[in-house]
Amino acid sequence: MHSNGLFLKDVAGFLGSYYTGLAIMNAVAALILWRKKGQPGWAVTWAVFAGVMMILASLALSGSESLVPSLPLSARTLVNTLSGPMLYTLGTTALFTVLFVFRRFFVQPMAAWTVFNVALVLMGLSMADENFAAIVMKPDNVPIVGLVFLLAFFTWVATKQAVVNDDRIRQGLPPMEKLDDEKVLVWPDLVYTELICMVAVSAFLLVWAIFLPAPLEEPASSVKTPNPSKAPWYFLGLQEMLVYFDPWYAGVVLPSLVVFGLMAMPYLDFNKKGNGYYSIEERKFSYLVYQFGFFELWITLIILGTFLRGPNWNFYGPFEYWTPYKVEVLNNVDLPQMFWVNLLDQPLPRAPQGAGTLTQIGYIFLREAPGLALLGGYLLLLPPLLAVTVFRGYFAKMGFIRYMIMANLMLLMLSLPLKMILRWTLNLKYLVSIPEFSLNF
Amino acid sequence: MAERKKMSVSEILAAARAQAGGGEAAAPAVEPAGGGAADAVDSAADTPVVEKPAAKAAPKPTAGGARPSVADIMAMARANKAAADAPAQSPTKSAPKPTAKPAEKPAAAKAAKPVAAKAAVARDTASILAAARAGAKPGPVSKADAPPRPAKPAAVKPAVAADHAAKPAAAKAVPPRPAKPAAKKSDSEEDRRGFLEIALGSFMALGFTALSVTGGLFSLGLARFFFPNVLAEPPSRFKVGFKEGFPAGKVETKFVAQYGVWVVNSDVAGEQQIYALKTVCTHLGCTPNWLEAEQKFKCPCHGSGFYKDGVNFEGPAPRPLERYAIRISDDGQLEVDKSKTFQEELGQWAESESYVTV
Ligand code: FES
Repeated sequence: MHSNGLFLKDVAGFLGSYYTGLAIMNAVAALILWRKKGQPGWAVTWAVFAGVMMILASLALSGSESLVPSLPLSARTLVNTLSGPMLYTLGTTALFTVLFVFRRFFVQPMAAWTVFNVALVLMGLSMADENFAAIVMKPDNVPIVGLVFLLAFFTWVATKQAVVNDDRIRQGLPPMEKLDDEKVLVWPDLVYTELICMVAVSAFLLVWAIFLPAPLEEPASSVKTPNPSKAPWYFLGLQEMLVYFDPWYAGVVLPSLVVFGLMAMPYLDFNKKGNGYYSIEERKFSYLVYQFGFFELWITLIILGTFLRGPNWNFYGPFEYWTPYKVEVLNNVDLPQMFWVNLLDQPLPRAPQGAGTLTQIGYIFLREAPGLALLGGYLLLLPPLLAVTVFRGYFAKMGFIRYMIMANLMLLMLSLPLKMILRWTLNLKYLVSIPEFSLNF
Repeated sequence: MAERKKMSVSEILAAARAQAGGGEAAAPAVEPAGGGAADAVDSAADTPVVEKPAAKAAPKPTAGGARPSVADIMAMARANKAAADAPAQSPTKSAPKPTAKPAEKPAAAKAAKPVAAKAAVARDTASILAAARAGAKPGPVSKADAPPRPAKPAAVKPAVAADHAAKPAAAKAVPPRPAKPAAKKSDSEEDRRGFLEIALGSFMALGFTALSVTGGLFSLGLARFFFPNVLAEPPSRFKVGFKEGFPAGKVETKFVAQYGVWVVNSDVAGEQQIYALKTVCTHLGCTPNWLEAEQKFKCPCHGSGFYKDGVNFEGPAPRPLERYAIRISDDGQLEVDKSKTFQEELGQWAESESYVTV
């Protein structure tokens, strides 16, 4: 969109206070650091940064197209053309890997503060883009922006504690949590704290409700579906899953498995360490599996569904206009089609006209043989195979039943990203597709 | 975080336990916070009945004294566990006491503790009530101070002192409150009770009446839900106009809002057909949109796409859109019948009811 001038006038006030807020935040940080006397260099850095933010704030307040700080158009276009579900997923995975591997670096307060500031400035620059702002500042979506920062913060706190504990354990010291200096009395300390929090949160929610009104729409109608039609934000991961699977699998089986798997965790876990304190080193496997499931398969999918899925559930770059006329070629084919028609150059096996039910079922099995073989191999052959190779130690410690449950849960969890990748790369629709009985996988 | 000078919870608790263990020590330290002692003394002086101070003082300590409140514990603990010397800290407010107390207490307390503790185990509601009914001086508190009670004025102080001393030990199981009704027995009791009965009775009656009325109205309201306030469904059979109104290759979308159907005139396997497609996505039931420029139906929910003939080709929808029955009615108009659907994957699109040839 090019009528940027009007939009910038509208958003100028917001951006001005946004940068001013950043400036104040950093000034306070600088002051605290200066008082503490530990890191005068950092204090000066953040003070200077606060000054820069003040300049940005005044530029933003001008509201003129040439002055409001924003990302160059070429950069935005580049981001738009590059971004896609594949790159998004790979990118987030890479990001998490980097954060995990270099966690020792990122848990330093100054490193985290730098990352935080960079993210905020990037967001401020992006918000001068009309399309980005339209999505990010939509009242429904504001909580998700908050979620991103809150989650980052809490993960950071926990990781920091885990890193500290890992160091202490290596030196033979007990973990921080065992030192008892974080406990408080329930009455009055905790109860008072809770009371204060309750009052503060209520006040916050009131203000929020007043300033960001609920986006009401026209009365519901069974024949009118808004475009795009989005689930509540906490279900957007689920909605994204539904793109890749039959409803019974993505809507029923996988969510139940999530719940079941979470409940099964304490029974599958044989590692007695890490009980009651944060630690990564002592339970790396559990940590990674959980974080992968939570961040990669739930949170990033929520973010993808919220910010990057537009009309017709097409993928839109962060600075792209959400036009319902975007043409995306997503023709996808089932595996039987790929196997019989494309590979073997034969028509799909089809029961002759008027054949009995059993013959028909037989033909269906023949038609779906490649998919069924793949699935069978994945779910039945892989677990024992893993048991004698990668998970040999686990198998020995867990016993047959526990190991089998764990392996199958993990494989089913991995079926989601695998299927997504197959869809993106090979345009594969279903491995097994039996529409006659509404069975697709 | 705040300074680490703060005592840890375990330290506080340890200090508290040390206090509770030495009953004598705890009492004086607690008293000032409870503030009950001075009151008790005053009121005891006013009234001749000995039980009264005990009864009156009793409820109070349960709130603030008997089980030392956290504030007290913390106060004590912060006093650097020197609580053993606590008597020295006894408030100067209760000036007359200190003379009597330190002297009386150890004896009284020591006498009281074992007795009270033992009694505490045995004393259940029934026995307390029995004691009360017998009109006897209620046991729990006065038992301990019964022996050293020579005269009324003198008795007051030991009573209070012993009372407080006994509490830490006996407190858990002995709420001396039950003594109250017995102590309060007076002439006006019958009237009050009568009033209570009447008041309570009528309140109960009122309450239950209100409850049943509300319940009745609520169920009526629920029943109302079975007769929803909506327009009747549009008929499942309806006429959409003459064949000529549907030129070849056109997807007619004007019936979507009312009937949920697209009427399409298209070439199917070399034959020009008019058919009625149901506007329900076969994935999860959203209503797709017809995109004229792209010549496809596209679902806004998860992005399923369907060709003009209803066959799925992109996104997760597992099977083609369904067709409704369509025929040429007696007056020559096309008539769609929504009571019957035809599914491609079951081979039903071949049935002659599912389309009209042009
Ligand atoms: S409901 Fe149409 S694609 Fe899911």
